Formats: sequence, C-alpha cells, structure tokens
Amino acid sequence: MATLSVVIFVSALALIAVEWVHRTKVALAGAALMVLTGAVDQEHAIESIDWATLGLLAGMMVIVGLTEPTGVFTFLALRVAQLSKGNPIALVFLLALVTGVLSAFLDNLTAILLVVPITLLIADILRISPIPLVLVEILSSNIGGTATLIGDPPNIMIGTARPELSFLDFIVNLAPVAIVTLVVVTGGLALVFRSQLRVDPARAQEIAALDAARDMREADKVGRTMAVLIGTIVAFFLHTLLHLEPAVVALTGATVMLLVAADDVEAALERIEWSTLFFFIGLFVMVGGLEEQGVVDNVAEWLADLTGGSSTAEGLVVLWGSAGGSALVDNIPFTAAMIPVVSSLQGTEFDDGLWWALALGACFGGNATMIAAAANVAATGILDRNGQPVSFARFLAVGVPVTFVSLVIATGYLLLFQL
Amino acid sequence: MPRLRDLPLVDASIPDSATFADAVARLFEARVPALAVTSADGRLVGVVSELDVLRAVFPRYLAELRHTAFLEDDLAGLDERADAVRDRPVAELARSVAVLDGGESATHAAERFLHTGEQALPVVEGGRVLGMLSIAALCHARFDRVER
Repeated sequence: MATLSVVIFVSALALIAVEWVHRTKVALAGAALMVLTGAVDQEHAIESIDWATLGLLAGMMVIVGLTEPTGVFTFLALRVAQLSKGNPIALVFLLALVTGVLSAFLDNLTAILLVVPITLLIADILRISPIPLVLVEILSSNIGGTATLIGDPPNIMIGTARPELSFLDFIVNLAPVAIVTLVVVTGGLALVFRSQLRVDPARAQEIAALDAARDMREADKVGRTMAVLIGTIVAFFLHTLLHLEPAVVALTGATVMLLVAADDVEAALERIEWSTLFFFIGLFVMVGGLEEQGVVDNVAEWLADLTGGSSTAEGLVVLWGSAGGSALVDNIPFTAAMIPVVSSLQGTEFDDGLWWALALGACFGGNATMIAAAANVAATGILDRNGQPVSFARFLAVGVPVTFVSLVIATGYLLLFQL
Repeated sequence: MPRLRDLPLVDASIPDSATFADAVARLFEARVPALAVTSADGRLVGVVSELDVLRAVFPRYLAELRHTAFLEDDLAGLDERADAVRDRPVAELARSVAVLDGGESATHAAERFLHTGEQALPVVEGGRVLGMLSIAALCHARFDRVER
C-alpha cells in the first residue's frame, strides 16, 4: 500500500509538471484515489486538510480582490516607471522593488497579475520589449514573496503547519536574506538586460507626462480599502501578541473589507480562486496518504541517514533538495510533501533553521523554471497572449542562474546564522 | 409559433480567405455584432465578433488593466499594429460558438444568448448558414409581433 501511495503521488506530481490536465483536477483525482484505495482512511483524509491554510488564502484573496479595482496598484507601478526617468537600470530596480514588496505583503501571484499588465503598457509607451521587465518581475515576485509568512504559498503552508513560527519570525529570519538576494539578482539582471532597455528620452517624457493618480477612483473607497489592507498587515505583525492565528487575521480582514468596501458581496466573493483552494485540498489529502503509509517517516529517516544526523547537512539538503524539487514540479505540492518530512526529521526538538531552509529552497526554487511557481505560469501566459512568447529554454537561461545565485546566498546565510 | 428561420436574419458571412480588414469593413456595413466565417463550400467555420477584432487591433493587455484614464493620448504604436494585422486571414480569428438551428424557438435563442455572452449567433439549417441572428433582431421581432 505504501508503494501505491507513492505511485499515486509521484504520478500526480508528474501530471502537474507537464500540465496536460489542470492541476486541480490532478490533485483531486489523486486524493480520491488515495481514499478509494484505502491508502488513507476517510477520517484521516479530512483531518489532513489544513483548513488554516485555506482560510488564510481565501481571506487574502478577498482583501486583495477588493483593493485592486481602486487603481492603487496601477498608480504604484506607473509612479515607479515615472521615477526611473527612462533610465533602464533604475526602471528594472524600481519595478523589482515594487513587485517584491507587493509580493511580500499580498502574495507573489497577485503581485504579478497586478504589475505585468501595466508593465506591458509601460513597455509599449517606451517602445521596448516587455520580456526583460516581466522576467525581472517574475523573479522579484518569488524572491520578495520569500520574505513573509503570506508572501508565497510555501510560506503560508509552513506558517500554518508550524504555529511556533510567527509572522514576525518569518520577517526577521527571511526578509534580510530576501532583500540581499533581490538586490544582487536585480543588479545582475539589470546589467544583462540593459542593452535591450535603452529608452528614447522623448518616450520617457511621455511616461512622465501621465497623470498616475487619475485612475484612483472613488477616493473614499481607496481610503477605506487601504486602511483595511494596512490594518490587516499590522495585525499579521502583531498576531502572536493578539493570540490570533494568521488565518483568523486574514479572514477578519476579509470580513471588514466586505463590510466597508463591497457593494456586491456575491461579486466580491467571486474573487476567491476556488480552483486553487481545491488544489490545496487535493494535495493535503494525498500527503495525508503518504503520512499514513509511513512514506514520510521513511523519507525523513533516509535523509537523516544521508546527512549522518548533522543538522547543518540536513538544512543544506533540505534547502537545495527543495529548490530542485520545486523547480521540477511546482513549489506548492513539493512543500506540502516536505512539511511532514521536515517535522519528522527534526523529531521532538523544534529547529526553526530547517524550516527556513525549506522556505528558502521552495520559494527560491520557484524561479528556476517556467512551471516552478504559479506566478511564472501566470506572467508568461500574459506575455504569450500579448504576442510576446517566452520559451521554456529562454526562461531556463535566466531562471537557473538566478536560482543558483539565490541558493548560494541562502546557503551562506543559513550557515552563518541558522544551522 | 414562428421559428428562428422566420426571424429577420442578416446575411453577414465572410469567406475564411478574407482578411481582418475585410471583416471589419463587413461588420461595419452589415450592422451586426458578429459575422459567420464560411469555407469555400459554404460550411460554417466559426464566427468573428466585434470584440474579436477589437482584441486583434488593440493590445490584449488592455483587458487586464482595469483603468487607463491616465492615457490622455493614444498609444504611439497603434497604427503600426493595425497595419501589421490588417492583411492577416480572418480564419485566425474564427471561433467556435453555439450554433442555432433554424427550427428552434426564440426562447431557446434567448437562453443561448444569455448563457454564451455572444451578441449574435449563426442560424444554420441542413449544414447551410441561413444568417446571423443578433439580440437586437430577436427582441425587435418580439416587439413587432406584439404590435401586430
């Protein structure tokens, strides 16, 4: 039965990676097979679902969904383009900064969906290729999302699975390394792409002449939604003091947002991406099957043997292994499978270093390939629809070096401060 | 009970060998929101709507931007863009949509319009395109009937 559960899970991962079938269908079919074959019993299957993760995701989807139509994010992206004054290096750094910050405090997929369309417009006005800018944004979104508990799905899953790790812990332990990585990676990309981003000063003047604030409609609504968004982020910082789980903070924020900014509740709730939530449900049940069959413990034992029980070696194997796994499949299912492995690996003694290694590996690994993170798939999809296709190989040529450099920085950081 | 074949269908078809520019001109003349694209033997290949040509002539990302009021002037590359697509074959834009049968009822057509979001649908019978039925034509025919 253990072998069967592994076959189901690995087949699902492979199908998710090749994208022949929608990932949610694959995850739900895998979950159904786990239950129907008896790899996991029905009670354990239900218990395996991490409702806190689903609540956190749903809450943030509502909050962001109601903030986005106010035009605040378009304003932000446009302002940074204006601030760059047509200097390609400045443009790359400012777009990377705004994408990284939005990713950290919204989530990386949302950040990409907000900044990429306006970037296409900016590139159109400047008459430059949007591809280098969008690639920078994809990579920045995955690096920026690493900095917080809510920035990237792997962190959301880790944060809700391990209540010992607070929102502030994520910021203190991951934000510094994410910032350094963002600066180094963006600097490298700016140098690589600078010749493709030369801007005619007259075009830069066209951008400067735009009235960025003109699209911020309904000023009172902008004020209300931003107050709730900022209030929710502050509450995330204070959630340990308030004795509130991150999911409770997100759902409370979503409720307040619905009360103050939703004219039509039905339409507001349509912003919840149900396919994503069901994808998570399928994954949790499949991983529950692996746990029940002892596969997770076996992998943890194998890892412990491989590393000779050294926590430093374990941390580095988790970091690089998670990055490799996330690059090959998708960092969400990979993290779902790795969370119980890391729990089992550390035994009864809680070691946050291993969790930071997992977060850094899964999030940074999301930059390696086009399919490694949902943000990459979404952004390259938008480029494709706009007649600017990016091939798998072209993404790889940028993504792999960036991931390697990121992991080297993460390795240094873990060795110096965590392991 | 009148059937769809009895309604004022518009002869708004275009051969699949025509260009985007031909399609836009035909849409403009025919005053229907969509054209039936047909093969050389008169079979339906798909439809091309006003929205389809809008998406082809203007950047696709506009649909993903919620607001563009800050753009007081046109984007500089619009003419070049239009010039680049005007001679492309309309078959590239043809989409499969719900097809109405000439023997079906107006109520069924109304339900199809509501659920597909299309503004005009092809009415076929025996594999032959009878014409395009628009929402306006469907409702206009109903008012006409009431007045009579």
